[in-house]
Amino acid sequence: MAKIEVKGLIKKFGKLEVLKGINLQVEEGEVVCLIGPSGSGKSTLLRCINCLEYPTEGSITVDGQKLTDKKVNINKAREDIGMVFQQFNLFPHLSVIKNIMLAPVDRKKMTKEEAERKGMELLSRVGLADKRDQYPAQLSGGQQQRVAIARALCMGPDIMLFDEPTSALDPEMVGEVLDVMKELAREGMTMVVVTHEMGFAREVGDRVLFLDGGYIVEEGTPEQIFSNPQNERTKAFLEKVL
Amino acid sequence: MTFFEIFQQTMPMLLKGAVITLKLTVVTLPLAVIFGLISCLLGMTKHFKFISNIYIAIIRGTPILVQVFFIYFGLAQFLGIKMTAYVAGVISLSMNAGAYLSEIFRGGIQAVSIGQTEAARSLGLPYANTMWKVILPQAIRIVIPSVVNQFIITLKDTSIISVIGLMDITMQGKQVISRTYKSFQIWILVGCVYFVICYTLSKISRYIERRLSIGKNRS
Repeated sequence: MAKIEVKGLIKKFGKLEVLKGINLQVEEGEVVCLIGPSGSGKSTLLRCINCLEYPTEGSITVDGQKLTDKKVNINKAREDIGMVFQQFNLFPHLSVIKNIMLAPVDRKKMTKEEAERKGMELLSRVGLADKRDQYPAQLSGGQQQRVAIARALCMGPDIMLFDEPTSALDPEMVGEVLDVMKELAREGMTMVVVTHEMGFAREVGDRVLFLDGGYIVEEGTPEQIFSNPQNERTKAFLEKVL
Repeated sequence: MTFFEIFQQTMPMLLKGAVITLKLTVVTLPLAVIFGLISCLLGMTKHFKFISNIYIAIIRGTPILVQVFFIYFGLAQFLGIKMTAYVAGVISLSMNAGAYLSEIFRGGIQAVSIGQTEAARSLGLPYANTMWKVILPQAIRIVIPSVVNQFIITLKDTSIISVIGLMDITMQGKQVISRTYKSFQIWILVGCVYFVICYTLSKISRYIERRLSIGKNRS
């Protein structure tokens, strides 16, 4: 059974149809990269997977649970789906460690002590143990994004969604965030990554999907997509970005 | 009579008035915050939004003097009860300030970026917990200056209650003038008493603002 299964997904914002029928399966431990021009619907697709955007039509199934079913407790389901945003979205009124502890403690997954211990473990992993009591505004963009990844991981998700995690970063900070993501991928995390980092997609992705105009226009291994694209639009896009 | 003599004779009366003004304000402001919160919360629901909208429209659309007269004379007559000037003052001022606070609160909540809600919800927090633990703590910091501003406006608006006979600073001033005819000097003194109170309040709020802003500033 696929870890994530998207069937016939259509998303409209008012009259604007952003996704026009998406079918997608992601296997456990797979790293899927979504690429494509802006406005192609890749972020919307990602945000539909944890129902931050509620699909207009179609179904989303994660771990055999149909999230588009109104009876499903979406909050519970989201505990297992981590998400990392382009703008980090750390909570500015909380210190780094409190940012990480908030959700596990609130959802009673852990006691304060457990959450703090796990939070510190994760902070060391992303190389920021010394920043535990700093506030988000005191950190650089790259550091903030690594904290955001640690925050998502502390809930113990088995899927991670990344929405252009390096697009808001200074070029010199992109690497440190990508390194953390690479390590996650190596450890077997199921990941869906919207990215403009073609190098990352090529190196880490198991599969690359090219979206344009609300459709998955082409998909394949990074090798196939980057070295031998079949579709004209994929070719045109890659020519501009590579 | 020298200014100092006028000062000596008038200040005891004005300070008595100040106590009444402060008593009125201290009771009014918490009530106003409660009205404001209720109206703000209703305004965020689908079905009860109209209550908040009507309330705010009425308060905004009518002068505070008319509201005071309506409560003190109109409503009292309609209900067949006798209200003291103090009670009528508390009701009308807190209703009045509540409407403005409701809008301030709504603005503060909307000023917190949508990304904050998304981040909290993506971690599995339900709507209410997101509001309580992520949005409101940030919104409170945002609204403090505007809320204090409204507090000061309301404190000064208590002077209007003198028209229905409450012995506040303004009323005390008027009475001393009617005995001494020293309009110029006494209105200056009345103004000074209000100024001292309002200035102190705004200084205190600045201090609170600074205390709460820790963590927002880059070091």
